[in-house]
Amino acid sequence: MTLRNFYNRFTVDKRLAEVTGHNPYYPIINSGLNEKIVANGHEMIDLASNNYLGLAADGRVKRAAVEAVEKYGVSLCGTPIATGYIDLFQRLEEKLSSFVGLQETVIFPSCYQANNGLFNSIAGPQDLIVVDRFAHSSLIQGIKSAGCKIRPFLHNNLAHLEGILQRSTGYRQVFVVTESVFSTEGSIAPFKEIVELCETYHAMPVIDDSHGIGVLGKSGQGILEEQAIEGYQGIYTASLGKAIANSGGMISGDKRLIDYLKYYCSHLVYSTALPPAVLAGTEAVLDIIQSEFGVIKNRMVTYQQEIYESLVDGGFTVAPSEAPINSIQCGSKEATFILAKKLYEKGILSTPFIEPSVPLGEGRVRLIAGANLTQDTIVEATKIIKRVGCL
Amino acid sequence: MEDRIIVTIQSVLEKRPEITLESRLLEDLKVDSLDLLMILSALEDEFSIIIAEDDFDDVYTINDITVKLKIRGI
Repeated sequence: MTLRNFYNRFTVDKRLAEVTGHNPYYPIINSGLNEKIVANGHEMIDLASNNYLGLAADGRVKRAAVEAVEKYGVSLCGTPIATGYIDLFQRLEEKLSSFVGLQETVIFPSCYQANNGLFNSIAGPQDLIVVDRFAHSSLIQGIKSAGCKIRPFLHNNLAHLEGILQRSTGYRQVFVVTESVFSTEGSIAPFKEIVELCETYHAMPVIDDSHGIGVLGKSGQGILEEQAIEGYQGIYTASLGKAIANSGGMISGDKRLIDYLKYYCSHLVYSTALPPAVLAGTEAVLDIIQSEFGVIKNRMVTYQQEIYESLVDGGFTVAPSEAPINSIQCGSKEATFILAKKLYEKGILSTPFIEPSVPLGEGRVRLIAGANLTQDTIVEATKIIKRVGCL
Repeated sequence: MEDRIIVTIQSVLEKRPEITLESRLLEDLKVDSLDLLMILSALEDEFSIIIAEDDFDDVYTINDITVKLKIRGI
């Protein structure tokens, strides 16, 4: 193959952006996640980021990050197993374990790597993974890479899951994998019941709490607190880049598993460790959650409801959400892009999802209002939404 | 037998139009790779067989699935 032919294999299909006159991907952001975000040079209302608690640009978090840079520099230029495991790393792992109520934690450079690395390390061809139909790509890709049998179950459908578990015998280990909050829907898994099914059928539950940590539960501790799941013996993963407002991912659970991953999970062992600023920033966010969660959550829930009401008034079809997410059901990918474009033109940055992020023909535009926004900004957003609905 | 296959497939495809032997998986039923895995799992349970997913990589319609199952003696 010639060099030209080789590179010609790699083309991006831009027809959708051309047809709709809008490419919502890779907007250039020229600011932090402030009251207004500057995207592609325009001041906008940020309803796109996962900054649920609004702590990404909080002064206390920034100061903690700066102090860590002053002490450690910007990087330890090594993987955690080598020079990257600074004392902050160890302290944060302990704090995260205590926060979610599990024995031990290991921190990855991203939750995508955590989810990918997890299944690569713990599952193989003798195993079966039963996974919710709407699970995130990081879980699906990780599961596929394990080379095991995969059986999806209908979204949040316990009867379908139980039927599969009843008929799944002869495997070394059966895993049941799901998410706490399904971020394109706002739906929440009946995880307590799933854990009970796992106990009945001797399966190992795996929960990705990326959109639940810092959001769900009376104290923000996530799905286990929200559903009062005591003595959880399964595996827990989460992103530190959403409500926790930094970056990275975590896996928590039994000490034996975490120790094993620290030495045998190549996604961790061969990746440069998270930088000191992120570790310190994450620690600062956990401290804020512990002291202020009630107030922040009230604001987050109020904003979600106000946005929801404006969407209904505007004539949109909105998925019933149990999380601080509003998901507008758009149908085709063209309709999805066009709605994102209309919002963008009126000053709202949103997140459109089309296949393969959602099932074919089930495009959605997601809106998340961070608790850092003021009531004035939310009022402005609701007015825009109602106007766009009339267009 | 065809009816049994269609009923089984219908049970794991929510919010889809009526399924016939001529239904195209992608164009008519919006079946993606995870849906296909779910279909094959349901057929495994219904007919008490084990399916190698690779054998069904080239199916285009419901009828294609039926033909593959018939070849296996179902």
